[in-house]
Amino acid sequence: MKNLDSVLAAYLAGWAIFFVYYISISQRMSTLREEVERLKALLTKGK
Amino acid sequence: MALFSNAAVLLGKELRTEYRSRELLTTTVVFILVVVVLFSFTFDPSAGESRRFGPGLLWLSFLFAASLMLQPCFLREQNNDTLSALRLSVRDPFAIFLAKLSANTLFLLLTEVLMLPIFAVLYNVHILAVFPQLVLVLFLGSLGVAIPGTAFSAISAQARMRELMLPLLLLPLLTPVLLASTEATGGLLEEHPGLRVDWLGFLAGFDVVFLTALWLFGEYLLEE
Amino acid sequence: MLKSTVKAIGLFVLIAITAYLAFYYAPIEKSMGVIQKIFYLHVSSALTSFLAFGICFYANLRYVFTRQQKADWLGVSAAEVGLAFIVVVLITGPIWAKPVWGIWWTWDARLTLTFVLGLLYISYLLLRSMIEEPEKRALFSALFGIFAFLDVPLVYFSIRWWRTQHPQPVILGGPGSGLEPRMRVSYLLMWGALTGLLILLLSARYRLEALRASVEDLRREAEVR
Repeated sequence: MKNLDSVLAAYLAGWAIFFVYYISISQRMSTLREEVERLKALLTKGK
Repeated sequence: MALFSNAAVLLGKELRTEYRSRELLTTTVVFILVVVVLFSFTFDPSAGESRRFGPGLLWLSFLFAASLMLQPCFLREQNNDTLSALRLSVRDPFAIFLAKLSANTLFLLLTEVLMLPIFAVLYNVHILAVFPQLVLVLFLGSLGVAIPGTAFSAISAQARMRELMLPLLLLPLLTPVLLASTEATGGLLEEHPGLRVDWLGFLAGFDVVFLTALWLFGEYLLEE
Repeated sequence: MLKSTVKAIGLFVLIAITAYLAFYYAPIEKSMGVIQKIFYLHVSSALTSFLAFGICFYANLRYVFTRQQKADWLGVSAAEVGLAFIVVVLITGPIWAKPVWGIWWTWDARLTLTFVLGLLYISYLLLRSMIEEPEKRALFSALFGIFAFLDVPLVYFSIRWWRTQHPQPVILGGPGSGLEPRMRVSYLLMWGALTGLLILLLSARYRLEALRASVEDLRREAEVR
């Protein structure tokens, strides 16, 4: 089983990239949601 | 045929503008000269080495120079608010692109032909015997640079950091042109020079593909 | 929210199955040994990234002709997700190449194409961040995307042509004909799983872009007041 560590490293790295990317999308999403709330509050107050 | 007569009139305008100032041509020639001289410090420019690296660095300097030279192409129109007037003056907006890309090809070709003898002297290569073939390679390569370059000049004029955006958009796209032109030029600079017809054909194909794309999508590039 | 969690879990199960298949079900390749198992992820990611860029090209064309904001959202989502797959390709590739070829990188046609493709779509995303006005941003990035996609076959053929005239390391053909049936099943399943992942990421990124557009609208409204 030569090179098994390389195989494991490749798969770990691959899945890690997808995972981190997905997390980054959710994070950007929640920041934007907060922004929406803030802006909506601002707009209703202005009325 | 209104397309071509319109384009010819606009080309005349581009050439006149440049003839009055000659800013673009002088700065580009000096730029290429600087790059070619600086490159010579990165390796030993003996005849053999130059044959290996010369064509590549020559085309790389042309590409960098072009990505700078193409900047003002649409920016000038935007700064002077002349783009909408220009668009109203022609029936087919492709005429504007045809004129601008012909002018750009011409300017590029002119600077390149001016640079060739200097390059040959500095890098110990013989170009006299293959000069006409070399000009053909230069022409097809410059056209390949100028077609997407003119299109992207219209795109980058709309963006922030446009001086950096144009090279960023243009250079990766020009990978095939760089490869084909370098190989074709390399073939001509060898000890037994030969015209690489396959690469010339490839360059012509590249030109046709992007000219067609520009013809199809050019009008959208001029929207404001 | 619950629905997307269920989807994510389902996808995770699918990926676990494919990983099992790739590692235990598919036989160990004779000449390369166990290292060949990287290919299941590597090749499938490459195919999926091409699919993503194809979707981006479709969205770009659609935007230019219909001017629907949704097409623009799809375009930017597909480009970004495609780039994520390209990153996986470019990381798993060298990990495979180092033990087999003894070098991390070689300027082979397929590697170089992947690299140039990545650069082109990085430029696409950069261009988007450099244009303020939403409609201009959508139109001009779409036009650049169309030009960039047209360049892909030209890049590929020029490099392949160029490389055939230069010495190159021996390349073991990718998944071609004569593939062992159990290997083929593993490839297909991995590709299916990654396409599922593509759809999941794409829809998440798409929703993010829609939200961003509504934030931009709200901001403008707030500024007017």
